[in-house]
Amino acid sequence: MIQLYNVSKKYGSDSAAAVKNLTLQVGKGEFLYITGASGAGKTTLLRMLYAAEKPTRGQILIDRQNVSRIRSRQIPFLRRKIGVVFQDFKLLQSRTVYENVAFALEAQGKKRYEVSKKVYQVLKEVGLEHRLQRKPLELSGGEQQRIAIARALVVDPLILLADEPSGNLDQEVTFEIMDLFKRANARGTTILLATHDHSLNQRFPRRVLTLDQGELVGDQQPLHL
Amino acid sequence: MLDKIRYFILRALRNMRQWPFLCSASILTMAIALAIVATFFLIVVNVEQLASRWTREIQVIAYLQKPVATQNLAALTKKLKSFPEVESVNYVSPVDAMQRFKKHLGADASLLEGVNPKLLPASFELGLYSAYRNQQGIVRVIEQLEMSLDVDDLRYGQKWLKRFNDFVHMLRFIGIVLGGFLLFAALFIVSNTIKLTLYARRDELEIMALVGATMRFIKIPFMLEGAIQGLLGGLLALAFLALSFVFVISRSLSSFWLTPTDFNLLFLTMNQQVVLVAAGVILGVLGSLSSLRRFVRI
Repeated sequence: MIQLYNVSKKYGSDSAAAVKNLTLQVGKGEFLYITGASGAGKTTLLRMLYAAEKPTRGQILIDRQNVSRIRSRQIPFLRRKIGVVFQDFKLLQSRTVYENVAFALEAQGKKRYEVSKKVYQVLKEVGLEHRLQRKPLELSGGEQQRIAIARALVVDPLILLADEPSGNLDQEVTFEIMDLFKRANARGTTILLATHDHSLNQRFPRRVLTLDQGELVGDQQPLHL
Repeated sequence: MLDKIRYFILRALRNMRQWPFLCSASILTMAIALAIVATFFLIVVNVEQLASRWTREIQVIAYLQKPVATQNLAALTKKLKSFPEVESVNYVSPVDAMQRFKKHLGADASLLEGVNPKLLPASFELGLYSAYRNQQGIVRVIEQLEMSLDVDDLRYGQKWLKRFNDFVHMLRFIGIVLGGFLLFAALFIVSNTIKLTLYARRDELEIMALVGATMRFIKIPFMLEGAIQGLLGGLLALAFLALSFVFVISRSLSSFWLTPTDFNLLFLTMNQQVVLVAAGVILGVLGSLSSLRRFVRI
């Protein structure tokens, strides 16, 4: 599903590489953690995957498409295969829960009846079907993150990228969120979750990539899987 | 397709409702900018109109060395009238001149008693077509006159005409410089206001790009929004201009010494009004488009 070959990324010509010589393969339906200290290159790696950054060197293939050489006109179509979840949720505060989730489908030009059906379904799945007309700020952090996850999942993405999704949440809520990721993964969505929270891996052991100063220093499969 | 158009229009209207402050700021800025440019245009048009009325008085008077014999008068008048610049020809014989002089003196006309009317020179008064009521036109008339008549002296308000020419040139120059400056300032203010309103909504633009919206999908509602705001701004500017024209300017100016009683101030013609509103729409669309490019990076 995702293949990286010798991928490097530098933000300036004389600055240190944010990602160095990264080569890795992620299979369809895999769930993996990307860990490392702040500045290890986790966010840069994810940003390159959804084509917000271009690698300075190397090739990235997603679903057999070469993302490192993608034209800007094709980027929207790549992103429709990828859901992204952020630490700060990135919700539209002026719109309701329903509108926030519907937005992702509308952007793809889906018909109205399709949109409403799908949005209701996915909000039910994340347990927010009773909050349709609320604005994000009226909800708790955990609920806001669930809206963001609903928005990412509503398009049935092949890949879900999550950048520190639990960074602003307490542990109980984090585990609820992890449950949502696990369920999506069980339906076949490939999941890459960047985090520095080791308790997640202890509770939900999965493959772990460890980055350090842009380099891949560890790639561990969970022992009991 | 219809579904999409409907979606885009609804989206644009909903955006405007969701950001009432930003939306009214854009509309007002555009209205003010357009009203300023249009007011300036009206001032220039009216001053030019006023100036061109002053030139109605311009005529060339050719004083002759000898009065024209009666039998030659018709032919000579015809000849002068054949000059392309000349609109009217009036022959003033020495007797006519004396009568005018007397009339001028009014109660003191008795002073002229016993004066030989032939003392005064005969003259031709040439009225010119409005297009030739300027230095070049007059020079051409004079050249032709001197070839066809024995002219003793010529009067055409030389000094006044020169000053008037300078005035008109200055007016045009100021018009172009100030008008250009105003137009530039209006564009600058409008595009910056739109930029600010988009800056306030950059999260929305970022998220749209993130969930796979195409550039077109992002642009169209913003363009429509810009067009609607521009339309409202243009109409507002027009309404403001019309009201202030009717209630303030024409009333206060009509009692002002500058405007003769039969002088009607010009307002925008129907076409110019349409241009003003269309300019608002174009301003809105271009302003949105140029600013969008800065905030949307796919």
